Amino acid sequence: MKAKIRERLASVPALEAGFRDVAYIVDRRIATTVYLAHHLEKPILVEGPAGVGKTELAKATAEYLELPLIRLQCYEGLDEAKALYEWKYGKQLLYTQLLKDKLDDIISRKNGFQSAMEKLHQYDDIFFSWPFLEPRPLLKALQEKDGAVLLIDEVDKSDEEFEAFLLEILSDFQVSVPEIGTIRAATKPLVFLTSNNTRELSEALKRRCLHLFISFPEPALEREIVLRRVPGISERLTRQIVKFIQDVRELELKKVPSISETIDWARVLTILHAEVLAPALVRDTLNTFIKFEDDIAVVAEKIHQLTATAIRQ
Amino acid sequence: MEGVLEDFITAARAAGVRISISETLDAVRAAATVGYGDRALLKDALAVSLAKTAAEKRLLEDCFDRFFSFHFFDAARRGTDRDGEAPPRVEAESPLVRMLLEEDRAGLIAAMTEAARQENLSQIRYLTQRNLFAFRLLSRMGAEDLDRQLRGMGALDTPGAVATAAALEAAKRYLVENVRNYVQSSYELYAGDEGLRHLEGELRLVKLSNIEQRYFARIHEIIRRMVKRLNDLHSRRRKRARRGVLDFKRTLRENIACQGLLFAPSWKKKKIERPQFVVICDISRSVLRTVRFLLLFLYGLNEEIARIRTFVFCSNLVEVSAILDSYPVDEALSRIQGGADIPLIMGRTDYDRSFGDFRRNHLDAVTRKTTVLILGDARNNYNDPRPDHLKAIHDRAKRLIWLNPEVPAFWGAGDSELRRYSPYCSVIRECNTLDHIERLIHALIRS
Repeated sequence: MKAKIRERLASVPALEAGFRDVAYIVDRRIATTVYLAHHLEKPILVEGPAGVGKTELAKATAEYLELPLIRLQCYEGLDEAKALYEWKYGKQLLYTQLLKDKLDDIISRKNGFQSAMEKLHQYDDIFFSWPFLEPRPLLKALQEKDGAVLLIDEVDKSDEEFEAFLLEILSDFQVSVPEIGTIRAATKPLVFLTSNNTRELSEALKRRCLHLFISFPEPALEREIVLRRVPGISERLTRQIVKFIQDVRELELKKVPSISETIDWARVLTILHAEVLAPALVRDTLNTFIKFEDDIAVVAEKIHQLTATAIRQ
Repeated sequence: MEGVLEDFITAARAAGVRISISETLDAVRAAATVGYGDRALLKDALAVSLAKTAAEKRLLEDCFDRFFSFHFFDAARRGTDRDGEAPPRVEAESPLVRMLLEEDRAGLIAAMTEAARQENLSQIRYLTQRNLFAFRLLSRMGAEDLDRQLRGMGALDTPGAVATAAALEAAKRYLVENVRNYVQSSYELYAGDEGLRHLEGELRLVKLSNIEQRYFARIHEIIRRMVKRLNDLHSRRRKRARRGVLDFKRTLRENIACQGLLFAPSWKKKKIERPQFVVICDISRSVLRTVRFLLLFLYGLNEEIARIRTFVFCSNLVEVSAILDSYPVDEALSRIQGGADIPLIMGRTDYDRSFGDFRRNHLDAVTRKTTVLILGDARNNYNDPRPDHLKAIHDRAKRLIWLNPEVPAFWGAGDSELRRYSPYCSVIRECNTLDHIERLIHALIRS
């Protein structure tokens, strides 16, 4: 298994081709970053506008390497109990109830309080052992024997404390559970952190990661992505769609359409059996890639001009 | 190759990319992994491991292109060589002379970079060091041998010797020029905005009213960093307050449903009140600069940290909270001054009327939880200051802080009425540098 992964991460071109096979088109920089992350054993911090495929990158990597993808969605108030591990309190309580008779036996046969205590001490660790531990995503990722792809999504949404807590895991790939001891990663997982920059991440976290910035793709790359992602779409329509979207990105909008929206639009157009773009068609389907009323007004005004340049492609 | 990488990182730092030691180590490992064979690959690898924001990436890539470009010794001495006849054969007396005459470009570059390494060219910081470094590089490369040979030629008078001397002379000019260019581009790479960095420390202490327009961007950057620190600090404190001790009574009450078994503990929580500010700013020209920076600071704070209402006055007083909430501070201020939709009169500063306006129309904005910040020089153009208005505000507020952009020596001098107002201020502070503002806000959100 490990040999297979090593082989798949042997070189940057191999990675590029591999991503292509799982229908995720990357430019060279992304492939280089993943390659380095594996070889330097460092997490990747992925930043970029919404919808350029940050989360998708982790999924594609997992698919290509045939590793399990373990995802931790961050939100405000996320803490260790939800991210790392928790004791199964319910199970512990239930077991103590079930074993009550047993416990009575153990304790009551002895006469002295002292000796009963001593006897109990021999058993108390039972309730804080692996069967009662509920591993959460981070611990799960460390426990995977063959390694895993760990996706810590939208890390900027979590609190600063959680970020600080992540540092130990990200630099040493180990965590300590006081009752059990330190748990080291069997195989170091490949870690992706994504951020939308709702707040600036700390220097310490950035320092420990490779930093990848994914921006909107070049026309050629975007065409390739659409062709790959939307089966049955014609070359000509793709060309027009991409040109249109790229021009829309130049306008002053609240939220410019991203790749995921390009793909959505392309899907909608194929469902409608469109062969070429037409102003009326564009107007009807505008809301698939533009999500604000004000923005729709801006684009609608220029629809004829934009469609005309796109068709000329 | 590690030496080269080290120099590159020095250059990148000078270009403004913040690089720590651990990142340097990463870069070394990354470069070792991808190798030096593929330029684009190396560039990507370095960009990924060193630069941590999109802006830094651009800086780093630009720096990479400049650092790893070698355009020296390439414009081969066309001017001299086009004379038609073959260049005169010269007995080369030193390796340098031989390389020059044979136009061994690679050799020359290697010699030059080697000399640069030995002379620590990457340590260059100041414009005035350029000639010194050029001279040192030349002597390392063996320019003295070239000179000696030239002098020897000068003594001879044969036509062959004259031609040789001319060729050597041209070679020397070519050499010196290239070394100079190299030193110059190294200076640009390594020194970068070294001067500006010294500036940053000083900008914090310089009087805000004296700061030149061209440093504003830099000041904004400083303020942004200060604000971030304050925000981080404060939110951490808030979190700590959220975790409380066990509330035993409540735990008992809530767990009655579980037959009195204490399943779910509940905790005592401490409520932290976010500070409320009412900011009253004099925006006459003498104070405007300070107002601008103070507002930049206040409005940079997170909304959870502080609630702010802002009033500005000159001849009369107007609330501008709505404008400041919907536009960035700079734009808001120019809107306010431009008198956009607000009934502000920009005449002579009138403290009594303005405070009177506040007392009549907005006194309910002040509660016993409110901190009132007044920013102004209290220069009332010899009108009656009417301290009773201020007293009314003071009596309702938690505290009233007067910030004066003037140095204390001028307080109360001339038409300054600060002495009359001072009984109704909890604190009066001098406020004219970034440091003052930072310390003030620190104190404000702590309480």
